[in-house]
Amino acid sequence: MNSISDKIFNKIKKEQIKMRPKIYFILKAVLIALTTLLVAFFVLFLVSFIFFNLRASGAWFLPRFGLPVIGIFFKSLPWLLILITIILIGVLEILVKRFSFAYRRPILYSILFIIIFTFLGSFAMSRTHLHPDFFWKAQERKLPMMGRFYRDFGMPKLGDVYYGIVFDMMDSGFHLETPKGEILTVVATSTIPSRLGSPIIKKDDRVIVLGKRKNETIQAFGVRKVDKQFEIFQRRPHNPIPRMK
Amino acid sequence: MFKSLDQLSDEEIVRMVQSGGLESFGILVKRYQEKMLRYGRKFLFNNNDIEDLVQEVFIKAYTNIQSFDASRKFSAWLYRIAHNQFINAIKKKKEPLPFFDLDVLWPYSVSKENADKETNQRELSQMLEKCLDKLSPKYRESLVLYYFEELTYKEIADVLHIPMATVGIRLKRGKKIMKSLFQKYEFNK
Repeated sequence: MNSISDKIFNKIKKEQIKMRPKIYFILKAVLIALTTLLVAFFVLFLVSFIFFNLRASGAWFLPRFGLPVIGIFFKSLPWLLILITIILIGVLEILVKRFSFAYRRPILYSILFIIIFTFLGSFAMSRTHLHPDFFWKAQERKLPMMGRFYRDFGMPKLGDVYYGIVFDMMDSGFHLETPKGEILTVVATSTIPSRLGSPIIKKDDRVIVLGKRKNETIQAFGVRKVDKQFEIFQRRPHNPIPRMK
Repeated sequence: MFKSLDQLSDEEIVRMVQSGGLESFGILVKRYQEKMLRYGRKFLFNNNDIEDLVQEVFIKAYTNIQSFDASRKFSAWLYRIAHNQFINAIKKKKEPLPFFDLDVLWPYSVSKENADKETNQRELSQMLEKCLDKLSPKYRESLVLYYFEELTYKEIADVLHIPMATVGIRLKRGKKIMKSLFQKYEFNK
């Protein structure tokens, strides 16, 4: 019955089997920990970028128009980035499951923990100027590595949705300055004339406009004010409109 | 006062091996080879290469011994290596293994450990001997580790890398399936 121990002992003596050095396991553990941290950070970056992308495109504010535009809202979501995020959360779950604190509990708990961590972390990250600053650097071609990413995904154009600041008021509407610096004329359609030019909308308001664009004019069929804080305007370099501070 | 090698704990012997006392590894092999063979025979009942597989378990244990944290339990670590080795053997034989087990997804309340272990031990051992081969690997392994290897829920959770509550659920379901199999067996006798 001692055959197994004899065989193994012979193999050890003849150096047919060798012990891996401790440094190998230390490096492996460090690599796994670093990969886990890196994936976690990348998920945070991506989710906070999705929030930025939704705000920059105006899609974030679409639900304010109610049910009729919910279809546009879903169409405007960055589905590719959302899919990558879901895959990365899956990767993160696999990495975390290597640790005893995770595998000793049901998967539901670790998934919930990762999702809560992702939302809180990305919310904290979205409060910084990271994305707006990177976005404008990308526009000025001063962001070498991720420039293209920000140019491709940073501020997608949504059909029939325009976002900006009321530059000045007119009798039949107003001029809208977009984040990219375009000045568009917004005029009311006959269906909702009372919404435009009413005291509700005034100069310097941040607004989202739903309407058909023809050249530099938008025939608006819906306008909503959005919150005062909007970092993409505030962080724009060489801001031509000082009153926006 | 010096302890003889046989009086040393597994973890003390591992520390000796880690610091160069390679021949001490033989003591660990002697201590565990019977247990590993029994675990292998019960879990892989239709496999003829148990000895080779167990030998491979010890070779892997030796190769990776520097990764073992001597503040933890050596037996659970060794059973984990054996579990991986046996699962690979099952995969090679193309026995069906679930890709994903729903039992690890949800939280369950854990039934009390040892509640009926002593009283039902003899009856269960008899049933296990007769019906073990008819159980699916996931129930078979939990029952083997609990009733034959006498590991605790926590140790089984560490060996299988599953939640402790799932260990309880697998044991409960495994016993239920086994009882119904045993009744059929007795009826057909």
